[in-house]
Amino acid sequence: MKILVVTEQRQGKWNNASFETLVAAQQIAGAASGAISAVVIGKGVAALAEEVASKNVAEVLLVEHELLENYTPDGYCVALKQVVEQAKPELVLFPHTYQVRDFAPELAASLGKGMIGDCIGFRNEEGKLVFVRQMFQGKTAADVVFTGSAPWFASFQSGAFRADLLQAHSSGKAPVNAVKVEMKAEQIRTKPLELFKEAKSAVDLTQAPLIVAIGRGIKAPENIPQAEALAKAIGGEIAASRPICDEGWLPMERQIGSSGQTVAPKLYLALGISGAIQHVVGMKGARTIVAINKDQNAPIFEIADYGIVGDIFEIMPALTEELQKTKG
Amino acid sequence: MAIQREQLEADVLIVGAGPAGLGCALHLANLIKQHNASGVKPELSAENIYVLEKGRELGAHQLSGAIMNPKALAELVPDFEKSAPLDTAVTESAALIFTEKSSYRVPVTPPPFQNAGNYVISLNKLVKWMGGLVEATGVNVFKEFGGADLIYEGDGVAGVITEDKGLDKNGKPKDNYTPGYELRAKVTVLAEGTRGSLTKQLVAKKNLDNINPQTYGFGIKELWEVAPGKIKPGYVAHTLGWPISTKMYGGGWIYGLSNNRVSIGLVVALEYEDPRFDPHAAFQRWKTHPFVRSLLDGGKLVRYGAKSLPYGGWYSMPQNYLDGALIVGDSGSFLDAQRLKGVHLAIKSGMLAAETIFEALKKGDYSAKTLQVYKNKIDQSYIKTEMWKVRNFHQGFHNGLLEGFINAGLQEITGGHGLTDPMRTHPGYQNYKEIYGRPAPERFKGDGKLTFDRLTDVYHSGTRHEDDQPCHLKVRDLNICSTRCVEEYGNPCQYFCPAAVYEMAREGAGLKLKINAANCVHCKTCDIADPYQIIDWVVPEGGGGPNYEGM
Amino acid sequence: MNIIVCIKQVPAKDAPLAIAGSWIKEADIGFEMNEPDSYALEEALRLKEKHGGEVVVVSMGPERVKQTIKEALAKGADRGIHIADDAFAQLDPLNSAKVLAAAIAKEKHDLVMTGLQSDDHGFGQTGVLLAALLNLPHATIIMQIEVQDGKMRLKRELEAGWFQHIECPLPAVLSIQSGINKVRYATLKGIMAAKKKEIAAITRESLGVTIEPTQKIEKIYVPTKTKKTEFLTGTPKEAAAKLVEKLKFEARVI
Repeated sequence: MKILVVTEQRQGKWNNASFETLVAAQQIAGAASGAISAVVIGKGVAALAEEVASKNVAEVLLVEHELLENYTPDGYCVALKQVVEQAKPELVLFPHTYQVRDFAPELAASLGKGMIGDCIGFRNEEGKLVFVRQMFQGKTAADVVFTGSAPWFASFQSGAFRADLLQAHSSGKAPVNAVKVEMKAEQIRTKPLELFKEAKSAVDLTQAPLIVAIGRGIKAPENIPQAEALAKAIGGEIAASRPICDEGWLPMERQIGSSGQTVAPKLYLALGISGAIQHVVGMKGARTIVAINKDQNAPIFEIADYGIVGDIFEIMPALTEELQKTKG
Repeated sequence: MAIQREQLEADVLIVGAGPAGLGCALHLANLIKQHNASGVKPELSAENIYVLEKGRELGAHQLSGAIMNPKALAELVPDFEKSAPLDTAVTESAALIFTEKSSYRVPVTPPPFQNAGNYVISLNKLVKWMGGLVEATGVNVFKEFGGADLIYEGDGVAGVITEDKGLDKNGKPKDNYTPGYELRAKVTVLAEGTRGSLTKQLVAKKNLDNINPQTYGFGIKELWEVAPGKIKPGYVAHTLGWPISTKMYGGGWIYGLSNNRVSIGLVVALEYEDPRFDPHAAFQRWKTHPFVRSLLDGGKLVRYGAKSLPYGGWYSMPQNYLDGALIVGDSGSFLDAQRLKGVHLAIKSGMLAAETIFEALKKGDYSAKTLQVYKNKIDQSYIKTEMWKVRNFHQGFHNGLLEGFINAGLQEITGGHGLTDPMRTHPGYQNYKEIYGRPAPERFKGDGKLTFDRLTDVYHSGTRHEDDQPCHLKVRDLNICSTRCVEEYGNPCQYFCPAAVYEMAREGAGLKLKINAANCVHCKTCDIADPYQIIDWVVPEGGGGPNYEGM
Repeated sequence: MNIIVCIKQVPAKDAPLAIAGSWIKEADIGFEMNEPDSYALEEALRLKEKHGGEVVVVSMGPERVKQTIKEALAKGADRGIHIADDAFAQLDPLNSAKVLAAAIAKEKHDLVMTGLQSDDHGFGQTGVLLAALLNLPHATIIMQIEVQDGKMRLKRELEAGWFQHIECPLPAVLSIQSGINKVRYATLKGIMAAKKKEIAAITRESLGVTIEPTQKIEKIYVPTKTKKTEFLTGTPKEAAAKLVEKLKFEARVI
């Protein structure tokens, strides 16, 4: 099976989810004895292509064009359509990023194909590829298969595969082949303007990869900075169960649970959260759950991967210190 | 600063879309249709009938066992059997006596527990269906709008102020603030259900109480899907005894529905002595009885809910008419206190109100004098026949089951008279005995399979409220909670609330009441059972509350 | 400005979901407007208030979907289009979009709007696919819309706190980020007025769209946890150190 992996960069910087998708591709290829072509698209991104070439891929397709300097959905669709037509893969994989959401379905549609987006895993059932994705906001999982003819398009959720498992190229380096694409300025209908960073007015916890959540165990608002320090040390967002937001100790948009947000981050660190079902439905889709609670019978431990029974006021500072140490 | 409210005017404004309110709306719309077809003036319009419903959907706040006597529905919708969601006709009625380990079936099921000819229904579905019929007549049904205040005029009522929307928890307007409407109507019909918040206001303000105050029961229900073959659809059992002590009045129910669903629940009278009695825990314990356990084994909880019910009967029926207003359904005490059946009486009361209003609209006179016809109609209908027979029934149980059965027996042979008639009673909260420093019992936790803690159950009630809104449980003096109540009664709100709304949280050396209003399932128990009567349940932002789908 | 808003009806947030093969048992549960779509509707109503024009809502699904259309009409949409289709839940994103696009193509449209994704399937593809099928430019995850001189200046959300302004001509398709506005309440007058507003009923068949499935949901299920909780013990410092070790080298999440 020939697999095309479309990597993502912005202004020469990787979106690391690209490597997770390469891992997914390697695993699929391994199970279906296939070959991977990695696509690097943009302008002046040859160095990135070289970097990918050191990974275990059959080839790197370097797609460069003046009009690909800044991302536009039209530009990417026009260019990648030609790449897919030339490379003739059976499967085209993407990391499920905001950018991919913006163009990949259109790319697939321009070839008359469908896309299974936001997958969290796959299975190879005797040659049939089954993709697993979440439905009903993580309340259920779904097995989805392609029914039409190849090429098939799929994207993988960030964190679904571990980037550190990426295999290096066995003989050092894969070839980097430039793909020539034809495109005209008038094909690009939207005009990208300035990029800017902004303190977000509304926190979108659903997109946060790491979440540190506090519950009643935090006891008083003056203890929240301790948890915030921990969140900062880990590089995550702070969130809470309902009682905390009810008290006004944290704003409502940081509430996780049936009446707040439903999240599925890579890591969910629950501090002094008992694990009432109202809270659990909002976070049980997390990949790794850590619970720290003084009550060893707290229901949160039923869904936790790692648990520490103890006083959060002793563990929070210790953990913050350890994290700062490792991050150096 | 006075709030600028938009004004709207209706002929008839019905507060609450339950069996009574919708029964009233549908019957009135039908009468208007016939009237207009006959060409008699003045022409009337069903579109000038407004119905307010605080739930997200019609039926969302409807909770009952439920066994329905179909006679009122048959009058309202003669071909109801064709389209009404009746689920299952009762096929077997049993009365069971529970001891902790065993159960005994009473050999001949006593008449009050006989349900032949009745249906096991989902009240939620029935009301949804009724709502569809009502909307088809052109009546305006407004979901997600609650009645927050009454507009008083002269000696009566001139309409309702709906609840303000878009206020934050401190009462400050948010971006989407929408002040409540001033809805004026020629006749306002209070169909709010049990312990209506406007009805409570009105009854107090106008001294409408009967010789007895209203007294209440409290029901907790779970809907389960059980393993196939565990129960026959239409099997109906009522249980007496364990775990309810003989000093209390209460019992359980098990009703078989179609598709392996079963409705189970427990009702207790809100007049027990132990202020720390926990009805939710009692219900959970009841489920561990071998009889219930084996039924539920391998099954799954589908939905949970709780609601108070007005038990007082005939002598607790408030004056239900005044200038510009009528009271129907549970708000007006239309419930058979012996059989605990109210759906048919609610529908009937709504229909009689409709007939009264219809005449008033034709006359153009909405005074108490005209609306008094409602009371006469009730007296001449089967509402009175049924309720009169059991007029002293519930009062007879005020001191528990044993005395109650003696009273009930005497009443049975004397046409409801019994030892004394009328038998007087007092509000149930007055029965609480002080705790005198006794330590609090441990809270029930549940095993997560057969039995549940309250938060898990609340989750299964589908309860949802806008989080950022003013608390709709107004406690008039929080000081009492932290001082007197801690000492005297050990804060019963923490125990009677089936939704873990009330919680005494440590604060410094003392305790402080914390209200988790978003959990509220609108059962009104707190408003009824608080020993100091300082909790006022007011309507939250429309759409808030449980979602009793299939209940 | 003629704005078309696609709204989906999904199971109520708190509905007790019972799985039945590749979908859920629809009996006994309530349905409501997909929350992300309500932000798109609100944004459309605000644009209409500013620039005039008409807001038309389109929804697909069985008869019950009309209730959600009515809700949108009560909030201020001018009319609705109901594409009757009992098997809508089984359609894949591309084919759903084909049907919607065929219906939208028949209407005047300066702007087509969708929510970010649906709370049931969660594909999040409809807006982008509509743009492809209607041959319109598009932008997704929109945080702000300014319309001037026949084009739009948009604020897009990117990941990790980044945003981007883009310029987009009209007509176009936009997918709106959830939470960008505070959704209005339906008013009593709005609810009454909605009764008189038109809901055009069309069938999927009448649009002449050929359905060619590209993917299929084989089954849905509740994921089960297989791993047992690993308890880390010791002094707070020891436990913290063990945890960091585990997160780094075993779970590899930090």
